[in-house]
Amino acid sequence: MKEKRNIGQMITTVLPFAALVALFFIFIGVVNMKGYRLDMYLKIAFNEGVVLAVVATGAIFIYTLGTFDISLGASTLFSATMGVMTYNKTENLGLMILVIFAVGIICSLFNSVLASVFHIPAFVTTVAMMSVLTAVAAKIITTEGGALGGIRIPSSVLKPFDSMGCKIALLVIFFAVSLFMFRFTKVGRRQKFIGGNPLCAYLTGIRYNKYTIIAFVMAGIGVGLGAFLTLVYTPSVTTTTASSIGMNIFIAIVFGGMPISGGPFSKIYAALVGGFSFMLLNDILEIVIESNAAYGITQIISAVFFLIVVYLTSMNYRTAMLPR
Amino acid sequence: MVEPILQMKKITKKFGSVTALSEVDLAVYPGEIRGLIGENGSGKSTISSIAAGMQKANSGEMIFKNKAWAPQSMIDALDNGIGMVVQESGTIAGITVGESIFLGELDPFTNRLGWVNKKAMFQKATEAMEAIGVTSVTGDMPMSALDFQTRKLVEIAKVVRKNPSILVIDETSTALSHDGREIMYRLIKKFRDDGKAVIFISHDLDEIMEVCDTLTVLRDGNLIRTFTKEEYDANLIRTSMIGRELKGDYYRSDFKATSLDEIALEAKNLKYKEQLKDISLQLKKGEIVGIGGLAGCGMHALGKALFGALPLESGEVVTGTGKKITDPHVAMKQEIGYVSKDRDTESLSLTASIRDNIAIAGMDRFAIGGFLVTAHKESKYVKEQIENLSIKCASPNQSVSQLSGGNKQKVVFGKWIGCGSEILILDCPTRGVDIGVKQAMYQLMVQLKNEGKAILMISEELPELIGMSDRIFIMKDGEMKMEFKRSEMLSDADIIQYMI
Amino acid sequence: MKQRVTKVLGLLLAGVMTLGMLTACGGKNGDTEGGKDTSSASKETVKIGVLVADVSGEEAQGFRSYYEKYIASNYNVEFTYTDALESAEDEKSAIEKFASQGCKAIISLSGSDRAQQIETCEQYGVYYAVASGVLEDEQFETYKGYEYFVGQVGPSNATEFEAGKAMGEFFKNQGTKTVAIYGAFIPNPMHVYRLAGTIVGLGDTYGGTDDMNGIIGQIFQDQTLDLSKVEGDTEVVAYLQGYGDTTTDELNAAIQKSPEAFLSVGMATTFFTQSLNEAGIAFSDIDSFTQANGDAIENGKLTYLAGKYSSSIGPVFALVMNAVNGNVIRDDEGNAVSISQGYLVATDKATFDEYYVSDNGDSPIYDKATLDSIIGDNVTYADVKALVESK
Repeated sequence: MKEKRNIGQMITTVLPFAALVALFFIFIGVVNMKGYRLDMYLKIAFNEGVVLAVVATGAIFIYTLGTFDISLGASTLFSATMGVMTYNKTENLGLMILVIFAVGIICSLFNSVLASVFHIPAFVTTVAMMSVLTAVAAKIITTEGGALGGIRIPSSVLKPFDSMGCKIALLVIFFAVSLFMFRFTKVGRRQKFIGGNPLCAYLTGIRYNKYTIIAFVMAGIGVGLGAFLTLVYTPSVTTTTASSIGMNIFIAIVFGGMPISGGPFSKIYAALVGGFSFMLLNDILEIVIESNAAYGITQIISAVFFLIVVYLTSMNYRTAMLPR
Repeated sequence: MVEPILQMKKITKKFGSVTALSEVDLAVYPGEIRGLIGENGSGKSTISSIAAGMQKANSGEMIFKNKAWAPQSMIDALDNGIGMVVQESGTIAGITVGESIFLGELDPFTNRLGWVNKKAMFQKATEAMEAIGVTSVTGDMPMSALDFQTRKLVEIAKVVRKNPSILVIDETSTALSHDGREIMYRLIKKFRDDGKAVIFISHDLDEIMEVCDTLTVLRDGNLIRTFTKEEYDANLIRTSMIGRELKGDYYRSDFKATSLDEIALEAKNLKYKEQLKDISLQLKKGEIVGIGGLAGCGMHALGKALFGALPLESGEVVTGTGKKITDPHVAMKQEIGYVSKDRDTESLSLTASIRDNIAIAGMDRFAIGGFLVTAHKESKYVKEQIENLSIKCASPNQSVSQLSGGNKQKVVFGKWIGCGSEILILDCPTRGVDIGVKQAMYQLMVQLKNEGKAILMISEELPELIGMSDRIFIMKDGEMKMEFKRSEMLSDADIIQYMI
Repeated sequence: MKQRVTKVLGLLLAGVMTLGMLTACGGKNGDTEGGKDTSSASKETVKIGVLVADVSGEEAQGFRSYYEKYIASNYNVEFTYTDALESAEDEKSAIEKFASQGCKAIISLSGSDRAQQIETCEQYGVYYAVASGVLEDEQFETYKGYEYFVGQVGPSNATEFEAGKAMGEFFKNQGTKTVAIYGAFIPNPMHVYRLAGTIVGLGDTYGGTDDMNGIIGQIFQDQTLDLSKVEGDTEVVAYLQGYGDTTTDELNAAIQKSPEAFLSVGMATTFFTQSLNEAGIAFSDIDSFTQANGDAIENGKLTYLAGKYSSSIGPVFALVMNAVNGNVIRDDEGNAVSISQGYLVATDKATFDEYYVSDNGDSPIYDKATLDSIIGDNVTYADVKALVESK
């Protein structure tokens, strides 16, 4: 019995890393084979992955509790929108950054507070929040942006941050803080415990609401950082900004080897590993498959991969969940 | 000499490197109630589940009714004459009693269009329940509306309905209260009288000696000895079960009700639905208070209420220092620990490790600044509990779901004792726990009492209530019916009359 | 246990094989391309990236087919298309990918953030031109001096307004008294301008004004057409907007009010043809000359079609081709080129066929001979402008 578990656990632990490494080398191979510029392609892949990795890392705290948040993409859009509005009104960079993070955290907090006030599952409120935030952001963007279809800040404002060094530093700092919280503090440990068995956690005197709120705050910080990095990359916000993030978070986290149900096997690095794996996979498919082949073929292959990963990871957790 | 109805020869079963059964021979005769007893992990459940088609042996041979026996599944086995009521079985949420009983065999009730004639199915299910002597349950009731014990009875009905030649009952009685057990005993005797056989698996030595005609003891995958009724000797059986003599006391050795003067916890006029009707109670430091009654008498609700986990309609729970217990978080801060009857769903996070489960309540104790959890401090804390309670495990990182019932319960104890609980509310603390661990737990309770801690033990087993408590309260229909003081003269019979 | 391990290994193997196959395919593609490169080593194939947001619309497919089938077989160029781009971030990374793939120029049919596109192309030194929709005037002013911004050829916003106005006038002159209007994807600027034009053409005012900018501003503010603000000669009995299949109920409600005509500023044939034919309501559209629209005009109730044709993106290709070859054409003031392209209007099958047939298959309106007249080292702004405006 024990052996089986160990092999299973080893696979779920090692597989995501192995996949990332494999994808990385395949990516290099494919880019080289096509004769494209590798240095540029690596940078592109990093830029694509970093926002997803950051937002997803924050989201891990929510997923760990066994719930999820589908409004994160909308929150990112909304907080970027508010950031741009702030800058255009005040021309104050510091204030803009402050607003971006504050809005990110408030949006997220609102979800959890609503959920605890009305005693409904948090993901239900996130569904509502997603629509509301998207609508409000779209209203602001289209009214303010008019015929341009979007709002923007001068590209020079965030130029100083637009370097690999700076982005990596931000990612590393946020990840380190998250890792520390997740692994080495009471907060992270209790969140994992709640995810494993909320009823038992309650009967152990753990306050569900408190840890839900903390989880959503962490996710909110991730959203703020994600919105900031989005603006660093493209200093404009349109109604479709960050639109793909909401769904991709889910895929990234699963790619990274995190069980969908959260709990004790939750892994903070899943977001990082999965986010970049997912982006590399997409880029590889995009390069390899001729664009005049049927549209959507890359998505179908991605989806097949996704199912395989879910199967492989859940297989282990499933057996773990059933008592002997 | 009567031919055995089932013969199992040199049955070996391995799980990876662990040998669960090693060349075990077992013969069961018609008209026999065969007891299987042994500690957790002894192989008693494994051998019976092999006979009932739940799993396959690695080697060995089985002969049932003079034919080679190799059931493909539990359903296959049941259709051909061996039915088993399992220890822990999942009930599917949202289905009715009828669907539960006829799960997988809806064909007779299905017409050509694929519609299920529910009325006929419910009727048959009601009849199946009546056949085992349960009249309060009808086929159209949702399973979720039934309590734990009644669900078990539905499972029994499901197996008995197929009229097997051998009925295997695995650890079922621990889930049943007094009247549930009576129903089961009647059934078992009827099987015997009809010339069929019963294999009865239990932890409870008293029960198994009472019910069974012969008794086979297993230990570590080996058959140790088979006792006939004439050979029954509790001490001898216990010794062969654990492979050594049980030294020291089992229950408390003294017969005096003692406690300190200080009140630890007080319940004042608790009201909650039909389960608590104006319940008041005082628990003193250094005292063990026992609460007894039938399932559904409200005693389990009382345990939860004292821990602040029930939304009371009125009344309050206060500590000796006057602090009001309003929710489990406050209770925990007031150093109250709660061990639920439903251990696997309420007291443990099964998928999590032993470390997680023990450390979770004690973080305030070992976390630096009440916040920073270092691997070193945590390991030390967890290791201490594992050693103090002698929890048998490969490592603290092992998942608790892999532990035996007794060791699981020890983990729960470790969780609450480690964090320094002064008041322990124990709901059926020895449920599904084997003798060796039971003894250890009783002795631990004595030790805790002597340290001045207050213990409230809720139990469905009268012997342990009598053996351990300073005072015993008997509940019935949400009311306190009687209070007994500890005494050597106190017997089951004195108490039972207040329960029924 | 063994079974499970085998299963896991099997799946892993399958995964590795899939990956292997994919890379193998990649290798093959690479090889063939490599071969192509060496054979035409004398003059390297020019790689052009195309940014697209719409991949399924009839107009988009017509454009693509013109570039990939006609242009690519007549010139030494290779077009690479993106998948449907959803956001400004997508556009930027697509441009970066094109740059690292060695694309010399990028033609944009996607408009999430044009300014961003121009800046990114400038950063990577890749020529850039807009082929669908145009920049806002102010934006164009900002970027017209950028080195790699070649320019834009397409209906300007004023042209869009005029197209709408002409459509409105057509119905007004026929004596139509009641109409329903479909505003397509407000606040897409193209549709906003057309909608404003339509109102003016019908002889109506919006919020008391018939000035283009006045109406535009209000529509952007309202995010819709507020019928209570419409006054004038023609009564607008119903208005709807948004994606076709979500507006079915609204369409039915509009039909219930039995307007004499149904005016659409875009994509009506994709969404509403069948219902309107059945209801017997004459309708109009600003779209493109495609097979489906031909059917609707011949057998259905489509009575007015202002449209683009597939090869209308030919001049943009000529501009970037010249730039890649070293002749970056600038206007008289030395800035990026901005040439407005008008719409062709058909109100009967004969006119429709004239445009449709003449732009189909091997003989597009902008065929090789025509394009060759504006591709070359000595071609000037005046040449291009003259040709485009003649069509």
